[in-house]
Amino acid sequence: MTTQTAPPGRQTLEAPPAIRATGLVKAFGPIRAVDDVSFELRPGRIYGLLGPNGSGKTTLIRLLTGMARPTRGRAEVLGVTMPARAVLARIGYMTQSDGIYPGLTVGENARFFAAAYGVRGTEGVRDALHLVDLDGRLDTVAGTLSGGQRRRLSLACALVHRPPVLFLDEPTVGIDPLLRAEFWAHFRALAEGGATIVVSSHVMDEADRCDELLFIRSGKVIARGTGAEVRARAGTDDLEEAFLRLGSDVEATR
Amino acid sequence: MSGRRILAIFRRVAQEIRRDHRSVALLLVVPIVMTGLITFIVREGQTPVVEAVVVNRAGLPGVVVADALRAALEKDGGTATVVADEATARRAIEDGTASVALFLPAGLAQAGPTTLTILTDGLDPFGEAAQASAVQRAILSAVASLTGRALPTIEHTTLYGTPTDDPIAPFAPAILGFLAYFFVYILTGVSFLRERTGGTLERLMATPVTRGEVVAGYALGFGAFATVQVVLLLAWGLGSVSVPAVGPLPPFSVGLGLPIAGSPLLAFLVILLASLGAVSLGIFLSTFARTELQVVQFIPVVIVPQFLLSGILFPVSGLPDILQPFVGLMPITYAVDGLRQVLVAGAGLATPALQLDLGVLAALAVLFAGVAALTIRREVA
Ligand SMILES: Nc1ncnc2c1ncn2[C@@H]1O[C@H](COP(=O)(O)OP(=O)(O)OP(=O)(O)O)[C@@H](O)[C@H]1O
Ligand SMILES: [Mg+2]
Repeated sequence: MTTQTAPPGRQTLEAPPAIRATGLVKAFGPIRAVDDVSFELRPGRIYGLLGPNGSGKTTLIRLLTGMARPTRGRAEVLGVTMPARAVLARIGYMTQSDGIYPGLTVGENARFFAAAYGVRGTEGVRDALHLVDLDGRLDTVAGTLSGGQRRRLSLACALVHRPPVLFLDEPTVGIDPLLRAEFWAHFRALAEGGATIVVSSHVMDEADRCDELLFIRSGKVIARGTGAEVRARAGTDDLEEAFLRLGSDVEATR
Repeated sequence: MSGRRILAIFRRVAQEIRRDHRSVALLLVVPIVMTGLITFIVREGQTPVVEAVVVNRAGLPGVVVADALRAALEKDGGTATVVADEATARRAIEDGTASVALFLPAGLAQAGPTTLTILTDGLDPFGEAAQASAVQRAILSAVASLTGRALPTIEHTTLYGTPTDDPIAPFAPAILGFLAYFFVYILTGVSFLRERTGGTLERLMATPVTRGEVVAGYALGFGAFATVQVVLLLAWGLGSVSVPAVGPLPPFSVGLGLPIAGSPLLAFLVILLASLGAVSLGIFLSTFARTELQVVQFIPVVIVPQFLLSGILFPVSGLPDILQPFVGLMPITYAVDGLRQVLVAGAGLATPALQLDLGVLAALAVLFAGVAALTIRREVA
């Protein structure tokens, strides 16, 4: 299923990048939602996309998943230039809106997406629903779930095919602290299994759970590094403060 | 195209409709109630009763004519009362005690053509036209009885049967075709719009599913429900089962028992092809809608012109020349004509006119499906 089976730790830095952006630009009329972004993301790591509302996180993810075509530049996943249908079976994408069928039951939703990804067998579906703690609610109609439960189902639907590359657009919004901790533990387990995970968020207290942070402002990556590196560069211990300081630097140099 | 993925989408659509009781009712119950109601109205509709006031300006000959007229009108359950002058007659029309006022002119008895004037209130054109022709018939019969010579009458026969056998027969193809088309369009349009606005389409497009597979899955899913609908509608429309009296219930019959000259299977094929076209049309038009209300707002744009131009309400031959080219563009035209061919003319697969209808319906279904697939925006086909 995947070529990224490199163990975690030092070696993964040597592995070829799972995701590569080169001079990526997406313009909507006068707005540059993504503005000349270049980076390489390696397998086995969790990357945090941090940025305020409208900074371009969702648009960046849509470019990387091939949901949108870049105005300029190039997005590659697993060595293939996006958009490319062939790679989609190896990408998991949890959208910012739930994107589940309210008229179907929990089980029907998960099985439908599994079939759409071409998964045979029921193991993936069972594991994904178990992870989000919905395996006891298989026959509940999704429309009657609570907001957080819908979010959990949405995550499960992105995991049914055990993808080596995972994009999660604000996965923990509306999730209670206990389950949030479980989510992160699972993300970590997936990364240790070699998966590349990109998580967008504007909750700074989640940032420290990522291996690396990419601060996004006005469509640009204004800083990149581990939590410690970013803190050191901004000269503050508070990530939120660091984000504000680094952001104002960008504003000043514009 | 992957059969497994199409099947998955088909199953998904079917699961969702099945759980949506209102949609099931709209698809299966409403057309039956509507056809039943229309048939009842057309079959049991009232024949006009003429309540005439007569103003005689013709003297003695007028009295004789008025008597003969009254006799003729009363035979059909009407009345005729002679009143003194025009003012009285107008008042009678005004306050509704008479439906028609009839003026016998002074020169009634003279040789040469004469004109009888009638007066109505002009509020109900169709009803009053029926009154006028009832009066005309009464006059003919009055003249015949006065002169002692029966005038010739017209008996209308047609190639495919007597048109007066069942008054609903000429309408049936249009009603069946239209209902099958209309409800499938509404349901598909709304359902696909939810897919677009609910974020599930974006998510679906992030899987290896192709746009063609989405349209095919939808066509299968809604096509399956359209099939159930059409089978039910045809069974209800064409069949008639008499239920004997049970206890206090009087005997009654279930089903409309519409006359059918051709094969029910062919009728089914025509309606099914039309509904498949409606599925694609629903998907296509959902591109231009943001809310479910907007899907409904397309009805005047998409459905009403088809209603007006496809020969459901007005015969195609009676439409102004400038509209004739558009008639050929309306999918329902071919559905209605195809059903007419099958139900009324008893056409089989060898009939060129039916072949044309089936061919155009199939071509439109395929064409719309292609266009619908293109409206599903995606960067990777
Ligand atoms: N389809 C579109 N058409 C026009 N403008 C768009 C479109 N999609 C995004 N934008 C614009 O691009 C900018 C970035 O939007 P994006 O959704 O990527 O932000 P975000 O970082 O995900 O924000 P949030 O935290 O609120 O989810 C916004 O200004 C938005 O208005
Ligand atoms: Mg976003």
